[in-house]
Amino acid sequence: MSENKREFRKLVAGLRIDDQPDPAHRERLRRQVLTAFEQTAAGAARTNVVRARFQPGPAAWLAVAAMVLIAAGAAVWTWVGSGEAATDFDRVRLATEDASWMLAVATRYTNGEARTERHWCNFAAKETYVVSDDETVVAFDYGPKQAKLAYSPRARRLEISELPKAGPFGVESAYTFVQTFAVLAARDDVAMEKSQTEYEGRTVRAYGIETSDPSSTINGKPAARIRMTVLADPKTRRVLAAGVEHQDAEGNVLAREDWVMSYPSSGPASVYDVGVPRTARVVDNRQSYRGTPGETAAFTSTPSARGDFRLEPLTIELPKPAFKGTPQDERTPNIERPRGGPRPAFLAPAGTVNLARGKPVSSSDREPIAGSLDLVTDGDKEAVDGSWVELGPQPQHITIDLQEECEIYAVVLWHHHRWPRAYSDVVVQISDDRAFKKGVRTIFNNDADNTLGLGAGRDLTYTETYEGKLIDAKSARGRYVRCYSNGNTHDELNHYTEVEVYGRPVKSIKSN
Amino acid sequence: MVALMAKPVEQTAYDDLVILAKSQAAALGRLYELYYDRIFRFCVHRLFNRSVAEDVTSSVFLTVARTMREFKGQTEQDFRSWVYTIAANQANAHIRETLRRQRLMGNVVDHRRDRLDASEAAEQGPAAWSNLDWPALYAAIQELKPEHQTLLTLRFFENMDYDEIARITQARPATIRVTLHRVLRRLHEVLRGDES
Repeated sequence: MSENKREFRKLVAGLRIDDQPDPAHRERLRRQVLTAFEQTAAGAARTNVVRARFQPGPAAWLAVAAMVLIAAGAAVWTWVGSGEAATDFDRVRLATEDASWMLAVATRYTNGEARTERHWCNFAAKETYVVSDDETVVAFDYGPKQAKLAYSPRARRLEISELPKAGPFGVESAYTFVQTFAVLAARDDVAMEKSQTEYEGRTVRAYGIETSDPSSTINGKPAARIRMTVLADPKTRRVLAAGVEHQDAEGNVLAREDWVMSYPSSGPASVYDVGVPRTARVVDNRQSYRGTPGETAAFTSTPSARGDFRLEPLTIELPKPAFKGTPQDERTPNIERPRGGPRPAFLAPAGTVNLARGKPVSSSDREPIAGSLDLVTDGDKEAVDGSWVELGPQPQHITIDLQEECEIYAVVLWHHHRWPRAYSDVVVQISDDRAFKKGVRTIFNNDADNTLGLGAGRDLTYTETYEGKLIDAKSARGRYVRCYSNGNTHDELNHYTEVEVYGRPVKSIKSN
Repeated sequence: MVALMAKPVEQTAYDDLVILAKSQAAALGRLYELYYDRIFRFCVHRLFNRSVAEDVTSSVFLTVARTMREFKGQTEQDFRSWVYTIAANQANAHIRETLRRQRLMGNVVDHRRDRLDASEAAEQGPAAWSNLDWPALYAAIQELKPEHQTLLTLRFFENMDYDEIARITQARPATIRVTLHRVLRRLHEVLRGDES
């Protein structure tokens, strides 16, 4: 058989095999490899965060300084002495708590998923409603009623219990993010750093603290330290954004989250305004409770808030699916895992509509390869020819003019969902400036290597499906919505089937 | 003497590169440059179709990028064995996927005639193998178990010795030697049209 081997080797040596590598593929893959490697670094951010599971419950996870820390990275931190900075931050806390309502939207990236919590804080009534994107609701009434309400959508049950000593962040007697920061900053062993930094094109104040974590564990690992950063508007003194970084004893980042704050004029009056169905069974577990079931229902319904606020699930008409499931393209780094079911309902204030329908669209590509720009807002989102516009290769963007300043809660984006493609460098921005030079708020950015030069993004790449990509706009205000992309996993072209912008004109909203 | 010294020095440099690549992107980039062509060719030899080979090569290197920080190896030889192990496993996984297999075989089916011609030639004995071209030989190799295809590719296309193949496939060198002997015999039978 050694004869056999020799002959076989000779055969192989004489074969003409087209195995010359393609330099373009080599170079493309090289960039992807280095990006994937960097992403495993900076943080463990994404990859570790990624496996982070907070305990206990969905409301127990703390915020992170992701984008905020990146933004603050260029700033020079100055030690000003804890006393002075703390006094300064007290003014921020007071100004923030002077608002009727604060909506704090926290985004956590875990294991290929982006999860969101929305904290509705009514400082005057001492109520905080925490709404998770899995439709779980936890409410803390730290006013006269001193109770916690927890709604489980799976059990369709609303449980009332005694107010726990620790709030949603595991810190005693702190039921909002701002309170938590203030309580931690007031500790004797915590020094506060104060600086100025750039945030969304303007100079803001930044407050940073680092402290040992009192309670949270991530994936069973105790988080030894927390680094929290809060950005405040120098004029209004209110908190604009925040972040928290959980680190283990070795300094490895276990978890990160981004927070964005806004100050709506009204908020929920009871848990029934944030998605809890009125048919949910109410169970009162308080030891002091001795009443009848009818009384518990009354407890959960407080008087209406100013502005007649009510959250309702957005009704988004979906096109027909063009393929089954959500196949993943493993060549694409940092890709979001398929959800494995329909998208959970997105809650927005009653009266929210698609503001983009029929609005004018402009583009960086003045001569689309196929289709026309009006297809982006014509309401037709089917995955068939004639319903999408095809823009040329390289980075391209479209801009929708809403024709007036609007408060935007969500943007839903369909590129081309005939096949399970993933589009590269997807960035969505909102601004009042047609040129997007100032007052720009970025609500989505998965351009991890900053190819577009708009800043490195931390959002995940995703696979197109008939559901489109719903992006939480966190109540950003602006007249123009701009969407960028840079080719896709199938070709180098850019497609837009439909973009919907859900919100309300600012003039229709009562000022705070 | 210079030539004798050069190799150990170069080897040490490559070993250092592997250690640096666990924390430095630039070092990983150099390792990538060193290994891209080898892994791509290995994938072509295993999968025939260039675009499928590019897919698997991408998958291999992205796996390397994501797990490099946890890689326990210290030397270039450790890295080489590791990256080939990943490539072999991923190529086999692709071959096992029914749809992909159909796609692969679709590319080969046009060459079945060549294979039949070749099998006639093979009846004349091992020396007649020299009449085979690559598509016909690949079609015959596809008749083997994926693990055996891997052994054949590593040994005869990548020119690896038994010890290295053993590290990649996590088997004993003696087992590799015996298995390869049987695999070649089986391939010979396939080429002769003996499907039993």
